[in-house]
Amino acid sequence: MEAAYPRRWRPSRYGIAALLGGAVLLVATASSILSFLVRQVPARASLFGLPAVALMVAGTYYGVRVLREHEEAHRRRDRVRAFFLLGAGMLLWLLVLDLFTFTQAAGPRVALLCALACLPTTAFGLFVIRRLDRNEKEPWRLVLIATAWGAIVSTSLVVWGESLWDAIAVRTLVPGPALDASIAYSAGIFEETSKGVAVVLLYLVMRDEFDDVVDGILYGAAVGLGFNFMESITYMTHLYAIFQPEGQGLDAAAAQWYSRQVLGLFFGHATYTALIGAGVGIARQLPRLRDRLVCIFCGFLIAIAAHFAWDAWVQFFPISQSAFGLVEIHLRTLFMEGPFTALVLLLLAMGLRVEGSALVRQLRAEAQSGTGTVEPEEVAVLASPWRRFRSRLRALGHSGLRAYLRLARLQRAQLDLAMERWHRERDEIDAPLEAEDLLRRRVLALRAAAT
Amino acid sequence: MVQSEESLRPLYRLMVGSGVVAILILALGLATILKFAPPGQASGLKARIVGVYPYDPATHRVTGPASTHFPRTQPFAAKVDWSSLPGGVVVGARWYNTLDEPVGGVGPATAASLAATGALVPAMTPPGLHANLPGNYTLAVTRYSRGQPVELLGREEVLVERNG
Repeated sequence: MEAAYPRRWRPSRYGIAALLGGAVLLVATASSILSFLVRQVPARASLFGLPAVALMVAGTYYGVRVLREHEEAHRRRDRVRAFFLLGAGMLLWLLVLDLFTFTQAAGPRVALLCALACLPTTAFGLFVIRRLDRNEKEPWRLVLIATAWGAIVSTSLVVWGESLWDAIAVRTLVPGPALDASIAYSAGIFEETSKGVAVVLLYLVMRDEFDDVVDGILYGAAVGLGFNFMESITYMTHLYAIFQPEGQGLDAAAAQWYSRQVLGLFFGHATYTALIGAGVGIARQLPRLRDRLVCIFCGFLIAIAAHFAWDAWVQFFPISQSAFGLVEIHLRTLFMEGPFTALVLLLLAMGLRVEGSALVRQLRAEAQSGTGTVEPEEVAVLASPWRRFRSRLRALGHSGLRAYLRLARLQRAQLDLAMERWHRERDEIDAPLEAEDLLRRRVLALRAAAT
Repeated sequence: MVQSEESLRPLYRLMVGSGVVAILILALGLATILKFAPPGQASGLKARIVGVYPYDPATHRVTGPASTHFPRTQPFAAKVDWSSLPGGVVVGARWYNTLDEPVGGVGPATAASLAATGALVPAMTPPGLHANLPGNYTLAVTRYSRGQPVELLGREEVLVERNG
């Protein structure tokens, strides 16, 4: 939806977002310098990866401006800049990974093949989670920005912290469960924090597109899928390089791909960061600051704990070398990760129920107001994703694809309006009446075009 | 403002409940660390690792000079100066490969008995493999108490070269 708020500067939220973004850049810069001096972490990757992080930040800035800009010419210009910068950032980081991390071991061709193998599964994951947001789908560009942050910015932020923690842990703890638990704390804390920052930034900067717990889960899962994409490539190439001299490189990489991109696609990072997103999404609609902070904190806590539990205790569920081992791998994932994924699904179901109920009520109220934006007979159709789809199919059958697309835009605008009314009712927006008027005019224009 | 009919309280409570569960999980993790690395075990002892040498599994002897790099096909073993530790202390040493899997070791036994036999710490090629996997190998010399390792006395790393 277009920015519904005429005020283009809201210092409190944007101030926090700027501080957070600045902190991310500072940490990335400090980590690069620190890692270069300490020489305990992959210094070259960290140092040369910094320009990629800067490009991603700049690309995100222009991407956000695209969403907030009203004039089409400016939007187009910023869109080109955002695409160029994000693309350059991604390519540069992949180049860094290939050249400085894996070239000597697996080689750039293997890294590229691993990336290509992970693309369809990650795309499938994004498609599925976006479909779950059945009432008001978030724009693809924002979902992809979240994914790119997870893949590039979050992964580069954790390098230094995890490496330093692990370097200290292996020098102080005996190998075994204690060391494993310590390293699991490191993975949980650093990785979830770095992914969570992306979700919090979206919440602060893109409040118009961050409506509730459902959106939080979607954006969180998108960040997690991005992180999982890059981590899968790292592990696949790493294990390929280790086992290739034994002639088992392909098997090792394929096993990692299955484990991370098929079996663990929705269970691992997607679930962890979705929990953070859920916390942020619920906080989005809470009136008291204290409750909001508690909710966000709990989201981070459960994500860190879920990640920690897998990393620390997976060793207590060893996989046998027999044929039953294949079953055991699946059961282990289901048993250890399943409860957290079930929690995400429960939060999602509750969120969809609250959201659906609110939209129906607001659509009815809008229909009764007589503005012409929503007709009484449209309420039942708009309230059901399946009936919305069937009505679009009917339009397609009668008048072709353009009619289908026009109706889709109209339905989306009507739902945006209902969502806006809900937020106004809950006193969750800054300029409610102007926002609603803008949306009403848009719905009426789309209705006129559709008829 | 008209109060919305949809209550977020159940969602809020579920999130707070999840936070409580998270604290329990993380506390369990801390308990794991305390159980397997109990505090107050620092004895101040340090094991002197003389070096890592090429190793002949047939004769169980080291051959050639110490090194930090080995070809994949070259077995290697660490020489630890067990006599540098008090004789009654129970110690052990383990090699871990680049995947953090244990690949050979000695002990646990008293430092005196290991010193008497001049025990070496060889890294073994896991069954099913033709040679050592490439990557960093870590030797950990640990002190045992009540049958479990409790203190790290020494640590050494070598690299098994990929193209070796």
